[in-house]
Amino acid sequence: MPTPNIDDDLRTMLPRLRRFALWLARDSHAADDLVQSTIERALSRWKTRREEDSLRAWLFSILYRLFLDGKRRASRYALLIGSLAEDEPTWPSAERVAMAHSTLAAFAALPPEQRSLLIWISVEGLSYQEVADILDVPIGTVMSRLSRARRALRQLGEGDPQSPSLRLLK
Amino acid sequence: MNLTPPSEHDIHAYVDGHLDDPRRGEVERYLSRHAEQADEVHGWRQDAQQLRALLAGDLAPAPALDPSRVRERARRRRFVRLGMAAGIVLCLFVGGIAGWAARGIGSGDAPMADAMQAYRLLALDHGVGMDITTGNENDLRAWLSGRVGQDVRLPDLADAGFRPIGGRLFATNEGPAAMVLYDDGSGHTVSFYVRPPGPARRFLPRGAREDDGLLANYWSEGGHNYAVVAVADAAGRQAADRVTGKAI
Repeated sequence: MPTPNIDDDLRTMLPRLRRFALWLARDSHAADDLVQSTIERALSRWKTRREEDSLRAWLFSILYRLFLDGKRRASRYALLIGSLAEDEPTWPSAERVAMAHSTLAAFAALPPEQRSLLIWISVEGLSYQEVADILDVPIGTVMSRLSRARRALRQLGEGDPQSPSLRLLK
Repeated sequence: MNLTPPSEHDIHAYVDGHLDDPRRGEVERYLSRHAEQADEVHGWRQDAQQLRALLAGDLAPAPALDPSRVRERARRRRFVRLGMAAGIVLCLFVGGIAGWAARGIGSGDAPMADAMQAYRLLALDHGVGMDITTGNENDLRAWLSGRVGQDVRLPDLADAGFRPIGGRLFATNEGPAAMVLYDDGSGHTVSFYVRPPGPARRFLPRGAREDDGLLANYWSEGGHNYAVVAVADAAGRQAADRVTGKAI
């Protein structure tokens, strides 16, 4: 019975998933919900996973899709009730302290896809091909989006006067 | 020496440390001659290192997210959902059975049971407690049409030896009902009972049944339900046959 192995595999991935979810959702409760849904989906679709794909990329991809689905639902709901104001992310206190750091503050202000790209590539060390598979785009597109993300992080982190408009654009 | 600029891919691979030595050397050589781009790339590298360091902190443990717990919760939720579905099916089943079993309630358990009750109430006491006591068929017809309906036809049983002796009104769930009692002068009685079909518009196929020594023939016609009730003996059967034969 493969069940204990599946659980162990997932368990080792939990910290990475939680970190990604936290920086994607920027809300610790939403992040935990995301991770739980991801684990549930991974358990129910374990058999459909292709062996040659890395578990990490597969789980990140599930979580990212769930996040986008949730965001779409939320924006439909916001349209419905006539409010497009985005709620301020609610940070757990530890992260609020860390936000004092300008790079982290800049990172938190990036659009979700850029945050995801930087986490996948700079922090988690996924290959460009794995990221291309997750986003379902050619590898060249990943490269140009990565350039944009890295430039945006630079500009925001250095307190570039352009940053307010960049924030509005997202 | 004029170097071709490295591709976007190689620049990022350089930042992320994915390049082998010769290609890393190429990128470094290029950057050493292009200060502006070198600044940017080194900034990217610094940002990446910083992100790694800043995001590396441990999160508070979340035992609820452990796969075994998630699995258990999902199983329980499935079970609850299954239970709810089973409950709904059971409710429909029980409701359906109960509804089927209760289909007669509200209009009497058996067709025209009220006519038989009315007969029991009056005919066996031979007309005690009538609302109208007359042998005059015109009076009875007028009495009927005023209370139950204009188009109710009173059967003529004179040739079977039965003459009307009176009538009585009853309040039923279906509306006002009237019973006219016939007597053959030798102790036999037949009742003619008529009432509206009620709000459920429950019309009856022609039929007959016996219950506790009484015989009832019933049918529907012209928006009314009719019954002829007599004691279930030879004389009663004969009289009832005469009435229903005439009423067809």
